Amino acid sequence: MRQEPKPRICYVIPAYNEASVIGDVVTGLNGIATKLGQEFEIVVVDDGSKDATAITAQDAGAHVIRHILNSGSGGATATGLSYAQQNGFTIAATLDADGQHAPDDVTKGVILMAKGGADLLIGSRLMNTDGMSKVKVLGNRGLSFVTYLIFGINITDSQSGMRIFSRKALEQLKWRTAGYEFCSEMLWRAKQQRLIIKEYPIKAIYTDYSKSKGQNNWNAFNIIKSLLQRRILEAFGE
Amino acid sequence: MSRYLILIILNTPLILAGITNSFVTYKLHRTSRRRLILRVSLWLFVFAALVFAEPVYNFLFSRGLTQTEALSLFDVIQITGIIFLFYIVSRIHARVDQLERRTQDLHQELSIRLADIPTSTKHQG
Repeated sequence: MRQEPKPRICYVIPAYNEASVIGDVVTGLNGIATKLGQEFEIVVVDDGSKDATAITAQDAGAHVIRHILNSGSGGATATGLSYAQQNGFTIAATLDADGQHAPDDVTKGVILMAKGGADLLIGSRLMNTDGMSKVKVLGNRGLSFVTYLIFGINITDSQSGMRIFSRKALEQLKWRTAGYEFCSEMLWRAKQQRLIIKEYPIKAIYTDYSKSKGQNNWNAFNIIKSLLQRRILEAFGE
Repeated sequence: MSRYLILIILNTPLILAGITNSFVTYKLHRTSRRRLILRVSLWLFVFAALVFAEPVYNFLFSRGLTQTEALSLFDVIQITGIIFLFYIVSRIHARVDQLERRTQDLHQELSIRLADIPTSTKHQG
């Protein structure tokens, strides 16, 4: 009987000016991921930070990829996942660098992905909104609704940075937007590629730091504008 | 010669070029069938608007629904200019889009490869 290859997991953390927290995020994830007993690598994509993000992450044990230019969260995530794809990882997981995601939730997602049945797993903060401010809940629900209106994808938390990818998703998913709007565009591309998208509940940890680093609700208008533009232009473009 | 006919004669090559480009892009597998249909439909819509401009104007004028004057030579030039710009913009958009994609890929690949170079060799001339 043919045996399934052992999963090799790549944890991708896109980071921009996160020197004060990235060390703890990498160390915390390293500890939990080691307990899983599977081969893994933590990759921090430093998106042209002006502080010591890269050095701090490297000292904490991460493999660091440095962007020469700041290209946005979407660009940094794409680089990290491309690295995972090129280096033969079977599962990749992305999480935010500001410490808002619990390492346990990431490994929970990885275990779910290893069981099969999904190509893209979204860690949803909105399946259990305890600890989230009403403004954040409203903003994220609003963007999920817009994602549904523009792309026809029904997901509770379209903006979540915690995502788990199967090997198939790593090979097929490509998106064009570089900013935060990539979260919605990625779902659209996954739908176009007929990938199976599922969600699982996660808990967001909001500290003063992560609140200050998070997206401003007003940015939602820029995201909507960019998504509409992409949708319309792509209908006529090459 | 009717100014409406001049309008059609001047713009038909642009519309044909737009449709041809759409088919070439599709045949070279650089676009989907759905996008081909959308783009060709758009160019056909522009062509239909030019062909039916005179009958529509005559219809509206005879029923007193418009008081504007018939097409002037300046109008012909202006409309041709707009359609030419539309053609150019659609071509430039495709090129810029392709260039943006290549730059993103280059930046991504360069960052990954530079990260794999050991620090000691990075500083060697």
